[in-house]
Amino acid sequence: MNSTPQPEAARPGTTSLIPVFVQLKLSLLRNGLQQSSRRKAVYVTSIVLVGLFTALELLGLIALRGTAHMAALTTLLVVVLALGWAVMPLFFASGDETLDPTRLVMLPLRPVPLVVALLTASLIGIGPVFTLAIVVGSVIATANGAAATVVGVLAAVLVLLVCLALARAVATANIRLLTSRRGRDLAVLSGLIIGVGMQFVNIGVQRLGAAGGLRALAPVADVLRWVPPGSAMDAVRAAGEGSYGVAAAELALTAAALALLLWWWQRSLTRLMTAPDSSTLQASTEPDKARAQRPGLASVLPTGRTGAVMVRSLRYIWRDPKTKTAWMSSLTLGLLVPMLNAAQGHGSLYFAFFAPALLGMQMYNQFGQDTSAFWMVLQTIASPRDAYVELRARALALSLIAVPYVILAVTGVAAVTRAWRSLPEVLGMSFAMLGALLGTGGMTSALFPYSIPQDGGFKNVAPGQAGIAWLSLFGGLLAGTVVCSPLIALTIWLHVSANLGLMWILLPLGVAYGFCAAWLGLRLAGPRVVARLPEILLAVSKG
Amino acid sequence: MEQGSTPAVRIEGLWKQFGEQVAVAGVDLELPAGQFIGLVGPNGAGKTTTLSMVTGLLRPDSGRVEIGGHDVWSDPVAVKSRIGVLPEGLRLFERLSGRELLSYTGRLRGLPGDEVDRRATQLLDVLDLAVAQNKLVVDYSTGMRKKIGLAAALLHNPEVLFLDEPFEGVDPVSAQTIRGVLERYTASGATVVFSSHVMELVESLCSWVAVMAAGRIRAQGALAEVRGDAPSLQAAFLELVGAQRTASGDSLDWLGGDAR
Repeated sequence: MNSTPQPEAARPGTTSLIPVFVQLKLSLLRNGLQQSSRRKAVYVTSIVLVGLFTALELLGLIALRGTAHMAALTTLLVVVLALGWAVMPLFFASGDETLDPTRLVMLPLRPVPLVVALLTASLIGIGPVFTLAIVVGSVIATANGAAATVVGVLAAVLVLLVCLALARAVATANIRLLTSRRGRDLAVLSGLIIGVGMQFVNIGVQRLGAAGGLRALAPVADVLRWVPPGSAMDAVRAAGEGSYGVAAAELALTAAALALLLWWWQRSLTRLMTAPDSSTLQASTEPDKARAQRPGLASVLPTGRTGAVMVRSLRYIWRDPKTKTAWMSSLTLGLLVPMLNAAQGHGSLYFAFFAPALLGMQMYNQFGQDTSAFWMVLQTIASPRDAYVELRARALALSLIAVPYVILAVTGVAAVTRAWRSLPEVLGMSFAMLGALLGTGGMTSALFPYSIPQDGGFKNVAPGQAGIAWLSLFGGLLAGTVVCSPLIALTIWLHVSANLGLMWILLPLGVAYGFCAAWLGLRLAGPRVVARLPEILLAVSKG
Repeated sequence: MEQGSTPAVRIEGLWKQFGEQVAVAGVDLELPAGQFIGLVGPNGAGKTTTLSMVTGLLRPDSGRVEIGGHDVWSDPVAVKSRIGVLPEGLRLFERLSGRELLSYTGRLRGLPGDEVDRRATQLLDVLDLAVAQNKLVVDYSTGMRKKIGLAAALLHNPEVLFLDEPFEGVDPVSAQTIRGVLERYTASGATVVFSSHVMELVESLCSWVAVMAAGRIRAQGALAEVRGDAPSLQAAFLELVGAQRTASGDSLDWLGGDAR
């Protein structure tokens, strides 16, 4: 460095860093929105939704003010909120570019000013505003008297900062994992985890409503009020009741937690920005895992294209996060919906149709599931026969799971609802439906292929192809129902004409019907696949 | 053309338009068999679009493509078994391990299982992928991906091999390995057609080149012929595409030197 004075912006220091990062965050937000009007629409919608939700939550909290055990609820609420902040970066790492400090590695920045600036910048966004609103609502709901209000203001600030620091610290400590392949796989599975988690929250809320209200929370709150940032929220209650010592201790606990988080964050930040990327250190010659040749499934399956395609399809169900999510959701929901309905007393065996419907729909958009790797299939398909064998193998792989699953699900639901008499009829119809969906699925795979974006857990259709996707799914489902309609008509006729003794006939009939529907659909799809190979490749390569 | 034999690839009036943009504007090419052929041109010249149409991955707006005398679009059965392809910018089945990918591709090609396994083992060995054969392709580096893609393209022993930018982003060691395999393959009488914008590479590898720019073929023929009097293929190429621009004098005058 020579004697010429450095320009203002280049001097590293807290004073200049905060506005820089705030501006960076604002620019990233603005540019992200300018990228597409669709994104803007999504953003505005989410602002409106979050705003409505926040307002309702706020009103609810204020309305509940003074209710017994209110502090238990707000403490729990704040801890859950903090938990949400802690796991959020694990699922949405790519959502906020300022979360990834490895992008700042080349800049001359000291850790402490950087932490302060990043923390300030992270105050901007929907999340922090939402959090602040909830916390303020909680304070209003529980604060009694001037002392409690003062503690409440302190608590609100502390809770917000703890949440933000927690998210940042977790993200920074795990950034290497999050940007790695495994981390991204995890993020894709997040949709499933959140979906299943929501079911549990739902059950919890219902229990709470049933089991005598907020009192049920008291034992939980007794623990949580010593867990930051729940402790800060409980301090508001304590101050209102005159226990100033407890309030001070609880506030101090949260402050200590904040300090600890900031220290952890700063430490991982320093290590991250000075140590070399572990991925470059890792030798590529790590020992082979047990994925070595196992004679397993492949040796039982037929040889040639059929076996090869089946093995690949089955491997993808397990190894490809996107395919895995779709399958896991179908397998879970297919059993959960009829079982839950049955358990709540208003179940019917007909709910068991969810199982074949959801699994059969996995046949839809087969080539979209391949992504642009479909070219490898394209290169080997030269005749309608090849295309038919390809589709048939995929349908067989699917049936390998779907057939036993449908038998299990329908029988299970029959056992719970004690509707044994309807079992043959529902089982037969289930197989007919599965077959119809396999057939129409093969057909729509050929006619309406679309891309499945591989990043992120929530997008299942590439931009601009939503119309095709809906057409494919609903058109296909409709076609599937139409295909099944003779069998449905027969079932209704048997019921109406009280020929219940003949109901068993629907089982073999349904199996045969499903088999024929699948076979016919795939047969018809074969020539269409061959005729449209480049068009299919183009349609599935947009992800 | 030597002895008037059928050319490996014959392209007539190939045309492709994306909306307003003409990507390939009437390409005519006749690529001789048994040669190492380079398709060179700057980025956006239409190389990938041309190769995609030649290999059946993209439908041309008009034009004809014949490989070994068989029409790509009307006789796919004869063509697809004769060609191997390594496209650029398309995925592989990445959730398979390298060996699984080869075993899958070979079986799709209708080769018997034992033969697929035998060939796969040799290819993995020659391409230095034996150590990583049980790793998922998604965890492979760029060079390893190109090599496993090449192995998949060679597995059924095609007559003509099409490679789109096979050396792009590949480290020198992997590049040398790929080169070795390709040289051995052409020595046996097979044809390799590959695209690249690295002239030195094309010059050192190819016996026959086609120069492409703005969707058209600017020159084609034996390497020496296309190079002509120019000192290198690079110079000849710049002349052909008319990109002979000299750096102007006073812009960037602050860069480097005493100005610091």
